[in-house]
Amino acid sequence: MSRATEPFRRAVRSIVTAMTVLFIVMSAWPATAQLLTGSGNAPLPASDAFQISVADQDDGTRILSWDIADGYYLYRDKLAADTADGIAVPLQTGPGKEMDDLTFGAVEVYFDTARAVMGAVNGPVTVTWQGCQDGGICYPPVKQTLTALDGATSPVSAAPAAEKIVLAQEQGLIDSLRARGGTLLVLAGFLGFGLLLAFTPCVFPMFPILAGLLSRQGDTLTARRGAALSGVYVLAMASAFGLLGIAAAWSGQNLQMVLQSPAAIYGVAAIFVALALSMFGLFELQLPQAWTRRLSSAGSGRRGTFGGAAVLGFTSALIVGPCVTAPLAGALLYIAGTGDLMLGAGALFALGLGQGIPLLIAGTLGARVLPRAGAWMDGVKRLFGFVFLGMAIWLIGRLVPGPAILALWAGLLVSAGIFSGAMDLLPGDAGSARRGIKSVGVLSLIAGAIMAVGAALGGSDPLRPFATLQGVAGKAGATTGTVEFDTVINASALDAAISAKPGVPAMIYVTADWCVTCRVIERNVWPDAGVQAALSGLNVIAADVSDFDAEGQEMLERLGAVGPPTMVFLDRNRTEAPGTRIVGDTGADAVQKSAEVIR
Amino acid sequence: MSIITRRNLLISGLGTSTAIVLGATLVPTAGRAQDLTVEDVLFDPDNPVLGNPDGDVTIVEFFDYQCPYCKANHPDLTKAVAEDGNVRLVMKDWPILGAPSIRASQLALGAVDTGTYETAVEALMATEGRLSDAVIKSALEKVGLDIPELDAAYRANRSKWDGLMSRNGAQAAQLGLRGTPAFIVGTSIYPGSMNRTELRDAIAKSRG
Repeated sequence: MSRATEPFRRAVRSIVTAMTVLFIVMSAWPATAQLLTGSGNAPLPASDAFQISVADQDDGTRILSWDIADGYYLYRDKLAADTADGIAVPLQTGPGKEMDDLTFGAVEVYFDTARAVMGAVNGPVTVTWQGCQDGGICYPPVKQTLTALDGATSPVSAAPAAEKIVLAQEQGLIDSLRARGGTLLVLAGFLGFGLLLAFTPCVFPMFPILAGLLSRQGDTLTARRGAALSGVYVLAMASAFGLLGIAAAWSGQNLQMVLQSPAAIYGVAAIFVALALSMFGLFELQLPQAWTRRLSSAGSGRRGTFGGAAVLGFTSALIVGPCVTAPLAGALLYIAGTGDLMLGAGALFALGLGQGIPLLIAGTLGARVLPRAGAWMDGVKRLFGFVFLGMAIWLIGRLVPGPAILALWAGLLVSAGIFSGAMDLLPGDAGSARRGIKSVGVLSLIAGAIMAVGAALGGSDPLRPFATLQGVAGKAGATTGTVEFDTVINASALDAAISAKPGVPAMIYVTADWCVTCRVIERNVWPDAGVQAALSGLNVIAADVSDFDAEGQEMLERLGAVGPPTMVFLDRNRTEAPGTRIVGDTGADAVQKSAEVIR
Repeated sequence: MSIITRRNLLISGLGTSTAIVLGATLVPTAGRAQDLTVEDVLFDPDNPVLGNPDGDVTIVEFFDYQCPYCKANHPDLTKAVAEDGNVRLVMKDWPILGAPSIRASQLALGAVDTGTYETAVEALMATEGRLSDAVIKSALEKVGLDIPELDAAYRANRSKWDGLMSRNGAQAAQLGLRGTPAFIVGTSIYPGSMNRTELRDAIAKSRG
């Protein structure tokens, strides 16, 4: 079928065409273009589709930026630069968008903008780029020759090496407090910080734990005993914070993170299950005699209670709600920097006490409110039994896949509903209190049933059990509603992610699955439109330390961070801008403010 | 850029009518290098012809074997040509996407002399994504073609095929084509992909 055109045919054609030697050239005017093209989208000239601008840097490197028209893209692997002798000049480019269309195969492209840092070079250099109109045409390579830079003397081979990031050196929290008021001010200050932090998600889980602990007391619970138990709990919590300091001085590590190991989490979850079972009256929980004798000397009656309070207080601080906050980070960094263990650990102890003050008050006042005997007491104990089981599920949720956890929540809520009489018949003369409890039980049953269905569908969020169904329809909306991070889990990946976008300011967000505060940030801060605008165009990297190991530790050291959540803001020269770091719980305004500084 | 300048120059002299007739400005006698005739573009003697070589309408496609839109568009093109039955299809190799594109074009043009041009074109156009020597080799071998044989055939007529490809590039520049794919149906230029209906309409339009 194929063959070269025959000469005679060519002659015939010549006669026909000579009469209408027409070349209808596509016009640059859109109206004309639309009349002539079937697709109705005449491609722009390459010079309009991809507009290059060049910024000379002091070190002889040049930043090449392309402004790419809507619906056009550049190929990452087609960006190139050559000297007049044809020697390739190194270009550093960031990752592009992966085109995974079947006809494309895997190829990285840039939409909207592209950036490359060109190594310093002598003499003129020719830059080449190439791209396509999405769904339209692919352009031939476009070349532009840049003139030599004055004073650029470095040879081509001297491509900029991967630089280390430079962290801001700022006076620590402890140092500045001590400079103003000595050791006393440091301790008082940390007590105050703790008090402020008491009303954050880090401390919230401790309230039901303490309440459960108190309700176990039954008829022996008095306000005094409530205060004593709360006091032990809070003291243990504060000691745990102090221990953090000692461990940090000894090993250089944040004990909270080291303790986020499966063994520790399952261990604490088992304690909660045991506590729950004892709340249901299955057995009386007793700690070893030797422990309890010493710990419960102040109490009477039930042994083991003070010991239990101490264990719970300790684990609450270290494992249940491990929160990195600005004062905590400050104290740990102070210890690491100065080796002054006494002051650092003392400050942390004060911080723990501060966090515990509202618990102490709640424990003392709550002891009066809690029922001491009768059916009510059994009901309350049962309720806290379910709360403890919930704690156990919440803890192992850091390790076990989402749908399995959702199934456990479903089971818990259904059982809680049954236990509160959801399926029992109410007598006709039942009072409003019983009717109210039954209503709550029925609601719990329904919620549990919904979660069971959600778990069967592969869902994992107890608040959005059917998210997997919405995912199909609402996927586009969901992805635009947050900040898109490059997630890294070790120091080398972190370096690579920073180097991937040279000359672009970066925001590094240290996070972990078990970080309670991080969930709050993810819910309140990233979906904020202002934050998204402030971070757009920045290199946003999530340093995930969920599986904490030596690599995670190295990454934290690189960032001078003690744990999640921490946000580090680097400017174009990979230098942390002073005063921009955010540690602990934060809001959209603070993130925007820091992002503006490095822009 | 010179391409655009020249094109704009031509248009500016001719006003804004929908169909811009440039024939008169292109001197049919190919005295100077930049003078281009319909003849040169539609009936290049070296370029193989697919479809019906005796057809009354010519479709020219400037394409690249790595251009995703050329490949995606190809089934529609071959269907439209087969369906009409009276269309000459001239596939003009304009390898703009790098070395693998050039290599694919060389082997396909080598296949002209071994009588397997259409097989080679179809095999290469059916590939997905970017090409490499290995991908080209496996695509051609899968349809029973022998790479050394195609290579030898290309080398035997190297100056002819290289000349054809450089002529295609020069014509694209002179026509102000911005990239691949670009179609010429009859005497009208259509940049970008064309589906079957658009091709059918363009063919009908060129028949008047």
